[in-house]
Amino acid sequence: MQEKITRSSRRFHNSRREFLKSLGIGTAAAHFALSLPSLGWAAAASPQKKRLVFVFSPNGVIPKHFWPENPGRDYDVKRILEPLSDFQSRMTTLHGVNNRIKGDGDGHMRGIGCLLTGIELFPGDVQGGSDTPAGWSMGISVDQEIKNQYQADAATRTRFGSLEFGVMVPERADTWTRMSYAGPNQPVAPIDNPYQMFDRLYGQTHNRKLLASVLDELTDDLKKVKRMVSAEDRRLLDEHLSMVRRVEKDMRIEQQTTQAAAENESADLGHAVPDLPPNVQEDNDNIPEIAKMQIELLVNSFRSDFARVATFQITNSVGNPKMRWLDIDESHHSLSHEPDSNEEAYEKLIRINTWYAEQVALMAKRLDETPEPGGEGSMLDHTTIVWTNELGKGNSHTRNNIPFVLVGDGLGFKTGEAMDFGGVNHNRLLMTFLQGMDCPRKTFGNPDFCDGGVLGDLLA
Amino acid sequence: MSPQILSLLVVHALLACGLAAHVSAGDGDAEDRGRRIYENQCAECHGDRGRGNEDFYPDPLIGDDSPGQLAELIADTMPEGEPELCQGDDAEAVAAYIHEAFYSEAAQIRNRPPRLMLQRLTARQLRQSLSDLYATVDGIPVKPTQPGVNALYFDGDRWKKENQRIERIDPFIDFDFGHESPGDEISSEAFYVLWSGALKPERSGRYEIVVHSSLSMTMKFGDGDKVLIDNHVQSGDKTEFRRSLFLSAGRLYPFSIQFIQRKRKTELPSADIRLAWVPPGGVEHTIPTRNLVADSVPPAYTIQSDLPPDDRSYGYPRGISVDRAWDESTTSAALEFATVVYEDLWPRYQRRHRKDDGDDRTKLKRLLVEIVGRAFRHPLDDELKRQFVDRPFDQTPADIDAVKRVLLVALKSPRFLYPTIDSDRSPSRRAANRLALVLHDSIPTRTELIRTAGQDELESEDQIRHHAREMSQDPRTDAKFLEFLSGWLNLDHLHDLDKDQEKFADFDDAVAADSRRSFRWMLADFAADPETRFQDLLTRPRAYTSDRLAAYYGDAWETQRAQAGDRGVGNGQAEGTKKVVGLVDDQPDHLRISVPSPDRRGVLNHPFLTSSLAYHDATSPIHRGVFLIRYMLGRTLRPPNAAFAPFSPDLHPDLTTRQRVELQTGEQSCQVCHSKINPLGFTLENYDATGRHRDSESGRPIDSNGVYESRDGESVSLAGPMDLADYLATSDDSVRGFVNRLFQHFTKQPPAAYGRQTLDQLIRNFEASDYSIRELIVEIATIAAARPLGES
Repeated sequence: MQEKITRSSRRFHNSRREFLKSLGIGTAAAHFALSLPSLGWAAAASPQKKRLVFVFSPNGVIPKHFWPENPGRDYDVKRILEPLSDFQSRMTTLHGVNNRIKGDGDGHMRGIGCLLTGIELFPGDVQGGSDTPAGWSMGISVDQEIKNQYQADAATRTRFGSLEFGVMVPERADTWTRMSYAGPNQPVAPIDNPYQMFDRLYGQTHNRKLLASVLDELTDDLKKVKRMVSAEDRRLLDEHLSMVRRVEKDMRIEQQTTQAAAENESADLGHAVPDLPPNVQEDNDNIPEIAKMQIELLVNSFRSDFARVATFQITNSVGNPKMRWLDIDESHHSLSHEPDSNEEAYEKLIRINTWYAEQVALMAKRLDETPEPGGEGSMLDHTTIVWTNELGKGNSHTRNNIPFVLVGDGLGFKTGEAMDFGGVNHNRLLMTFLQGMDCPRKTFGNPDFCDGGVLGDLLA
Repeated sequence: MSPQILSLLVVHALLACGLAAHVSAGDGDAEDRGRRIYENQCAECHGDRGRGNEDFYPDPLIGDDSPGQLAELIADTMPEGEPELCQGDDAEAVAAYIHEAFYSEAAQIRNRPPRLMLQRLTARQLRQSLSDLYATVDGIPVKPTQPGVNALYFDGDRWKKENQRIERIDPFIDFDFGHESPGDEISSEAFYVLWSGALKPERSGRYEIVVHSSLSMTMKFGDGDKVLIDNHVQSGDKTEFRRSLFLSAGRLYPFSIQFIQRKRKTELPSADIRLAWVPPGGVEHTIPTRNLVADSVPPAYTIQSDLPPDDRSYGYPRGISVDRAWDESTTSAALEFATVVYEDLWPRYQRRHRKDDGDDRTKLKRLLVEIVGRAFRHPLDDELKRQFVDRPFDQTPADIDAVKRVLLVALKSPRFLYPTIDSDRSPSRRAANRLALVLHDSIPTRTELIRTAGQDELESEDQIRHHAREMSQDPRTDAKFLEFLSGWLNLDHLHDLDKDQEKFADFDDAVAADSRRSFRWMLADFAADPETRFQDLLTRPRAYTSDRLAAYYGDAWETQRAQAGDRGVGNGQAEGTKKVVGLVDDQPDHLRISVPSPDRRGVLNHPFLTSSLAYHDATSPIHRGVFLIRYMLGRTLRPPNAAFAPFSPDLHPDLTTRQRVELQTGEQSCQVCHSKINPLGFTLENYDATGRHRDSESGRPIDSNGVYESRDGESVSLAGPMDLADYLATSDDSVRGFVNRLFQHFTKQPPAAYGRQTLDQLIRNFEASDYSIRELIVEIATIAAARPLGES
């Protein structure tokens, strides 16, 4: 089957996807077909897992082509959300949620720095385009709050607790490049190099595989060198040789047991450790490839239950990717400051945001295609993706109507609706997320912005 | 048959019958008699030829007493419980026999000639080799010349050549500018300071680097790109930053710190910054001038993976065994190194070779061939190139994995891990290899050495000695010698400095910390000075001191206000230099050089040493005596048969420590060893448990008279610590012990393995050079590189 070769695609195969496409099975049916073997596990006593991912894209959206006009279940899917139309019944848009946190920092800094924290930034010396200079957030972000609670409880503990992914995040540590905070003045850096993330998740396993693959040569070399020493000195080399042989034996047993375990996961058609395409450089033009690799790593992390909460930060606040693969040569942030009257810029911004939506759609699709390990349905049934942004709109820097789009059923919220909250503080939404993840809090971030509590309309 | 022959036959027959024939007492006959006595009276407990007997006396009968001393011991105490059975001539005969047959060092060498033992790289050698492997790609550092850090001060909050206002060397980084400007024509509201230089640790181990900064600050470390601490954003009260790093002595680690005050609409914070560290086993203090170098140095890297400890049963690390933990550590070291090659060395190599022909993969392969060749201490021939680089590389499409594979095989190969397996190399290459191993604990790195070896010009002893001398002028050799001093003084096994607060109210943790650092700096100075002679170690009249040390230990610990050119100003600047704006000088923990004192004897009566050889509330002449016999005089001493708790001073309030010790060790069986230990330990009784000088104890005058019986039976009386020091600085026994230990530390082999006369020859050369330690090291390295090699 010939794959369309564009600048962005490489030898990156996903045989499962192609397989499904070629059979002409719709997503829902395929999902059902794939999950058949797991039906027998319906009686499993373990509590269903809940997962939450925050996907960030910068510089606001074009509201007219983003927000549905008809509220309720029969909402219209505008251009920007078009890539997500397959998930309409499991998607919820939340209009009318505002980031009203004041204090130090300019619009962008507060846009990203207060987004998941709901609290002011410290005074500092990073000066934005306007307002006063700021430092880091004064409080913890909602993803880390969940992680802390989950790691403290054996029932929800995972290997990492949370994972912070990035795509093309600049090599600077400042208020524009960080959205996750482990506490006041404790920014958490996203890992935007897929090989580095791979190393973190599978490095040990991968390195052990590499070691196993060279043990034969090591043994041969030792034997050769042994012949070069006197009889009395051979003792040490003999010990060395028998030790390497023991390591070899142990590794073979290890590999056999892991392989057997992998084969037992009969519903899983993929490999336990994902294959990344080699030597992809961290360049602007490789952003689509890198995004794909990071999504793959995220889905696999969830599947192996490495974490229950994650952030996925595409570039940063004031992010400036040049989407040449869409034939757009200008950088995103500079375009976002053009007035609406600049029709060319307006159109490009719609297409840029549509591309971001495509990434969210890809993530949702990959989760949807993967059966929930040890549970019912697909992984998307147990995961909620929250696609959000620092600003409501780029050229006005407004932080009213922050884009919030929820996809998936991880939190047990109402889905398949376009909602309007009429202008509530976003702290309340953060508290609702916490409640959905079984971490209820009376307040979160700055308590002054929490009046009214959780957003009841979201809860089913 | 002739009459003579007949009479001989008769004599033989008579002797054979065991009749007491009156033949004149020649040596052979006494030994024979001694052997018979041994077999009848001693062998039951001590085993055949002194090998020992599990049921009675399990240790082999070996030591360094003279035959006379042995005879006395036997007459007094042996056979056990019935010493009267072997006295006078009998005792002398059996003593002569065992001394000659198996007891003495010479006998041991004769019976079991030591051979050169095959060893793998120790942890220290592995780290040093990998650091040097890294360095061979970007550049080997040269010996630094300028202590302190380079400082550039700019007006405005960024680097702009035209805004540079000050360029100078700052002695260390501890500044408090408050709200003021750091210098002329520099705004107090917006300025940029860049300090750059290198860290020069004196000991290997895990350090905690601590930066305290009230402003935006970024610290780079290791190379120009690696950010160690990123506080680019000044935020709230986040001002303290800590990083843990393993650093090797003998290396220079480049670093830079940029410190920025930014003008803003809100209130400006006060500007202060301090670069400090916590060295292994030490306390936090500002990194002093002696550990900072303002020269520009090439990038440096040290493996951070944990490496398991090596065998230390001989007092220095040896790689004589292998086990899983060690094997796993070589894997993680290889993988860590591979990552560093790929992420740091490769991009720089690419830039340097961007005009070369070949694609990236070809160039990467070339880099690996270079690296593996250096690791194997010999350029790769075609076959090895195919085996170690081409095959694994071509089989692996992902670059990072290819690098990992190649280096896994190369750095876990015996060709790297067992440096002395080199019988297939030319004699010159073998000599170069061993010189680097002995003098630097590493692979050959100097271009000149490698070239000379490649041209087969390193074969004669003179050629080797010439290169050894060049190579010994290297921070890595200084580091190895400093490690030796730690072992020679048994520093790892000393007591802690926690003392009874009632008896020694003013000896607190701060004084203890200053004392420890003062001692370490003294040792480091000995190691770094190529002119150090053996006597200097036990006679140096100056030490590093602080106000705290002066307050506790008295006038001899006053600081000498530094004269120009006086080495080791510690933290402080030399007097008379212009005051540096903002520098936080004259802190209580800053050490400076002391006045010279006629009573100071180098390491011997430094309070750190004497207080470490003492209990919580009293001195320990026994620990001091054991230290002197074993470490300073190099004599053998068996451990005691059982563990004994010292008599408590409270139970014997009327006795001095000396009297108490004499009481406790008075029994005959104890005196076998304690008659040697105690008289030495007593000579240091003038130094109390905190190392402070005293003339009396509990109202009674201190008696610090002692005695020592040397190897050749001479009895030396010592009237106190000065006598002791003078004796140690010149006696044959201490010199012999020192040379023997130094040899083994550097070569990890016994001297006799290079020939029976090696030790004696070295001692003669040492004497002839007026005890120059540097010359001794050169000589040791020459022997190790030139003498015929035992394994082949």
